[in-house]
Amino acid sequence: MKLGFYPKLALDGIRKNKKMYIPYILTCIGMVMMYYIIVFLSRCETVQHLHGSNAILLMMELGGWVIAAFSCVFLFYTNSFLIRRRKREFGLYNMLGMGKRHIGIILFWETFFIAAISLIIGLTAGIAFSKLAELGLVNILQGEISYNLYISFPTIYMTAAVFGVIFLLLFLNTLRQIRFSSAIALIRSENFGEKPPKANWLLCILGAAVLAVAYCLAVIIDNPLDALLMFFVAVIMVIGATYLLMIAGSVLICRILQKNKKYYYNSKHFVSLSSMVYRMKRNGAGLASICILATMVLVIVSSTTSLYFGSEDSLQSRYTREINIDACMGTIEQLSDEYLNPYRNAAIDIAKEYNTLISNVQDSRYADVAGLISGNEVICDENKLDGTFSYSDVRDFFFISLDDYNKITEENLTLAADEAFLLTYRCSYPYDTISFDDNKTFKIKNSEYGIVDGLGTPQVNLVASITVIVPDLEDAMSCFKLDDGSYDLVNFVWNFRFDTGLDEDGQISLGSTLDDKINDIFASSTTDYSMRYTLSSREAERADYFGLNAGFFYIGIMLNIVFIFAAVLIIYYKQISEGYEDQSRFEIMQKVGMTKKEIRKSINSQLLTVFFLPLLGAGLHLAFAFPMINKLLMLFNLYNVNLFVKTTVISFLIFALFYTLVYRITSNAYYNIVSKSKGK
Amino acid sequence: MSILEVKGLKKIYSTRFGGNKVAALKNVNFTVEQGEYVAIMGESGSGKTTLLNILAALDKPTNGNVILDGKDFSKIKDSATAAFRRDNLGFVFQDFNLLDTFTLEDNIYLPLVLAGKSYKEMNERLTPIAQRLGIANLLKKYPYEVSGGQKQRAAVARAIITNPKIILADEPTGALDSKATDELLRLFDEINRLGQTILMVTHSTKAASVANRVLFIKDGEIFHQLYRGDCTNEMLYQKISDTLTMIATGGDRI
Repeated sequence: MKLGFYPKLALDGIRKNKKMYIPYILTCIGMVMMYYIIVFLSRCETVQHLHGSNAILLMMELGGWVIAAFSCVFLFYTNSFLIRRRKREFGLYNMLGMGKRHIGIILFWETFFIAAISLIIGLTAGIAFSKLAELGLVNILQGEISYNLYISFPTIYMTAAVFGVIFLLLFLNTLRQIRFSSAIALIRSENFGEKPPKANWLLCILGAAVLAVAYCLAVIIDNPLDALLMFFVAVIMVIGATYLLMIAGSVLICRILQKNKKYYYNSKHFVSLSSMVYRMKRNGAGLASICILATMVLVIVSSTTSLYFGSEDSLQSRYTREINIDACMGTIEQLSDEYLNPYRNAAIDIAKEYNTLISNVQDSRYADVAGLISGNEVICDENKLDGTFSYSDVRDFFFISLDDYNKITEENLTLAADEAFLLTYRCSYPYDTISFDDNKTFKIKNSEYGIVDGLGTPQVNLVASITVIVPDLEDAMSCFKLDDGSYDLVNFVWNFRFDTGLDEDGQISLGSTLDDKINDIFASSTTDYSMRYTLSSREAERADYFGLNAGFFYIGIMLNIVFIFAAVLIIYYKQISEGYEDQSRFEIMQKVGMTKKEIRKSINSQLLTVFFLPLLGAGLHLAFAFPMINKLLMLFNLYNVNLFVKTTVISFLIFALFYTLVYRITSNAYYNIVSKSKGK
Repeated sequence: MSILEVKGLKKIYSTRFGGNKVAALKNVNFTVEQGEYVAIMGESGSGKTTLLNILAALDKPTNGNVILDGKDFSKIKDSATAAFRRDNLGFVFQDFNLLDTFTLEDNIYLPLVLAGKSYKEMNERLTPIAQRLGIANLLKKYPYEVSGGQKQRAAVARAIITNPKIILADEPTGALDSKATDELLRLFDEINRLGQTILMVTHSTKAASVANRVLFIKDGEIFHQLYRGDCTNEMLYQKISDTLTMIATGGDRI
């Protein structure tokens, strides 16, 4: 088929600038592919049947939108590199008598070809890899694997529509830039006299201050609930500060160094420093973007990996035994042995039916009250509260009787009638007495830091907790009795947890048998007591648990691929466009007597700085984000700090390695361009 | 005493696959005396640029020698050429070749910084030069802020601040208007009177007419040379134009 004049010109333009266009088209293809895969997975039927898939599918759908938004921003950014390099060509066309309208037509065809190539190849690759992604996901979720290739047409339409709109926007943006500049301006746009950048103290100080505040926020927060909101505030502040510092701060540092004549007029620093100022001015924003992308990648990788690999840990800490009965009673009488024994016996009997014995039993009963602490007073009744309160003053109180405590810990403590022991966790209690609701006061015989194993789950709690060991539980509870005689403030908890020594199916089956039995016992009791309980068998929960974490892990990987894609491309374009700009400078330096070695050395030191500044920044951000992310991970029952440290360090190292590799490859592209100027 | 000696210089370019061989310089011989001001003239393609590149140690001859102050270029190691160039040669280019990331002052300092001089020494050297060249109050400006003539004067300052044995000027007036050209030629003359040896390659009869001696190069050979003798600039100008006319109309050796 014979192409028309304009399409041919457009294709020629792409071909002649292939150094710029190939990476761009590759990115477009990559974005289309990733978008297709994520949307495909979010609608995938095989995944829908799997355990724990709901959360994942929702995350995938969200991930799809994130990628779409990111593609849009990112393609705009890379497209601006392309336009800058091609303005000269368009200026020439314009000068030779081609109207802006005709240039518009060429641009249209160019965009059209790029869009068509990206969509066709991207979708093909997407369809091909979607099966792989699906298999990966199914495998991670431990589901049945099927090998049917399935093409989702709605997803294809969706992808085409989303990227069609993005390309249309790109086209309109380019058109706008061409329209509003004259032929001469277009031709000269590339070597327009650039003003030397000025150091801006104000922006610098602002950036440093914002960063300092954000870092402080990240470090001082010790409450995961506050952390969730603060996290986002801190993230936004860090992003802003990174941009400010990379743009203004770097120039300022160069300027200060230049003021130092002894340092500046030294053959090692002279050329590098003065070029650095310009380089930083042009690259500040790009470097900040790379820094933030790198931080994102690292945060996502380290947290999702530790979530995934810590799944077993958090499962174990959430479900301490194979079978876990957690019952919540309406009255304190229900914690008596007379009331509980039928249930205990039921567990033993049913284990017998399964030809096994219950072992490793954790049998604890306690009263759980939340209260606001102020001085040595505790207010538990919300009607007695006035005004607002901070989460950091809320404590979770676990009351346990001395007898039970001695039994669990195999100690032999004694208490007088008005005395109590305190065990504080994630807080301290410095007073001699403690009083509840102005009603009951205990003298504190001893206060230590610690928890009682099996007594609630203070590790999972968002607030700090205090265990109160009292001589008589019923007497202690009297202060919480409301006017109508109920104990609505208090949860009377009975935990009965044990191992069975059965295999997975046996555990699950024993669990459900026991569940039915407990229901029968409760239904046949004559009292009007209320009881809420859950019986969870660890094996039954495992799939859900892993499902969720695997989903995070998976989507983390997907997003990372996209982000890394983007970072590499920004780096590549940076190198290419700088190569062209530095070409003539290189030549001059050689003519005035700089050796090739000296030039290479100076360039190397500049590139290294420009390259590793973002990595350094990312490392620093990550270090300060660490405590906060660690606390957020607690929300997901992950308490294994060691694991998180390990994954963070490992992901940083791998990323640094990868980054260095990219640096090597792209700096070669740079040298190629620069040394083409004159080999002599 | 001759400071520069060029003997039997020959440069042959071959095309990429070694097929066609083109002789840019066939056999060039001349000497430049200490303190002389020599102009080399020739049409495009006559081998001027090749000659200058070889004199600047940017290119190597196929045959023959260049000897500067007793030092044979071919004996200088590749790794040392840049340092040699920096210490012995000063350059003035048609398009100034100032770095746009530097102020004029820093541009002028560049060769000295590379040679490892201290700021104090550099500053002491610059002050009288800047005065003489009339750029003392422009030193803190950037190249894009000043005119072409001012840029070229900064480039001249950069060339002479190292006290080079010889200044090589490649079409130094090529990008200047007539006023700036006059000004620059006056400066060259002044510098030369202070004892600086200058070798200038040019197209411009006017620029050449300021020199003590004019060499004409044609088809890779020194074709003719004119000495100023007692001539005024105007008389030399006339002689040069006559010679050029003759070369252009294909006249034989005079």
